[in-house]
Amino acid sequence: MTTVSVRYIVNDIDAAIGFYTTRLRFELQMRPNDLFAMLRHGDLRLVLVRPVGPDGPAGGGAPMPDGTMQEPGGWNRFSIEVPDLAATVEELRRSGARFRNDIVTGTGGRQIIIEDPSGNPVELFEPILPCEAKLSRPAPS
Amino acid sequence: MTPDPLEALRLPIMPVEPRPEFTASLLRRLRGARAPAVGRGATVRYFVADLDAAVAFYRDDLGFDEELRPSPSFAMLYRGDLRLLLSVPGRAHALPDGTLPDPGGWNRIVVEVADLGAAVEALRGRGIRFRHEIVTGVGVRQALLEDPSGNPVELFEPLAGYHERAPRAAKEQPTPDLSTGEREDRR
Repeated sequence: MTTVSVRYIVNDIDAAIGFYTTRLRFELQMRPNDLFAMLRHGDLRLVLVRPVGPDGPAGGGAPMPDGTMQEPGGWNRFSIEVPDLAATVEELRRSGARFRNDIVTGTGGRQIIIEDPSGNPVELFEPILPCEAKLSRPAPS
Repeated sequence: MTPDPLEALRLPIMPVEPRPEFTASLLRRLRGARAPAVGRGATVRYFVADLDAAVAFYRDDLGFDEELRPSPSFAMLYRGDLRLLLSVPGRAHALPDGTLPDPGGWNRIVVEVADLGAAVEALRGRGIRFRHEIVTGVGVRQALLEDPSGNPVELFEPLAGYHERAPRAAKEQPTPDLSTGEREDRR
C-alpha cells in the first residue's frame, strides 16, 4: 500500500486533531508536539502543521525566505468519499460543523465543502454511478 | 405530463449480456446494500487558471499521468495513488454568494522524491518557481514549488529514521528501501 501525503496549515493542532478524528474519522498517528501531527484516512496521510515565525524550528511550517508566514485557508483540498452525502451532511450540521456551501450536484457526483476549525476546506464527495446518472436523466420528450 | 410507470414494459425487449460485475453491483443496489468501495488512494482538487499549462506542468515536470480531460475546465491526473483533479473555477464551483474559488494558498500535496537536490536543480533548470528551496526539518528535507497558477507543491525526501517515526505506517507495510529511489508505482 502506498500513501498519499497532503499538508494542511492549521492554527491549533489539537482543535484540528479533534475535528479530523471525530468529524471525519481520521486516525491519529502521531502528535509529537503542538506544531505537528500526522493523521490517516485510508490511503491519505494528512500532515498538520502550525505555522511558525523566523525563530521557530525549520520544517513544514517555517516562513518563506522573505519572511512570509504560511496560513490556513484557500480552496485547494483533498476529497473524502462518503456513501450517503445527505445523511453525512445532516449529521455534521447537527454537530455544529461549518460548511462553505450546500450540496452541489456535478457530472460525476454530489459534493459539499466543509471547513476545519482553521478554515481549511475539505470536500465531501458522493459519486453518482453511471447507470444512476442515466436513469435520472429526464426522458426525451 | 406524468410519466406512465408502465411505459418501460411496453418497450421491445432487447437481449443484453450484462457484464458479471454489473449484474452483481445491480443486485446489491436492488437489495439496498452499498457496493464495496473499489476506490483506492486519495483525491485532491486544485484550482488552476490555465488548464493546458497545468496539465503540461504536472505531466511533464512532476511525472503525473493524464487520465481524463473531458472538458476545457477539468482534468484528472494520477501519480501513484494520488488522484489530482484540476478545475478551472467556474459557475459550478461558485459559493451561494457568488464567490469563485481561486488558486494559491498554502495547503498542498506532498510528493516524495529520492534525491531532493537533484530534483530541485532539474526543476529550476526548467524554469519552475520555488517559494523556498531546500529546508531541513525533523526527519525530512523539503522544498516548496509553484505550479503555473501559483499552487504550492511540496517535494520531500525522507532522511534516515523518518519511517521509524511513523510506527503505524511501518507496521502496515515493509519499510521502503530508500536507496532504490522513488517508488515506481505510477499507473
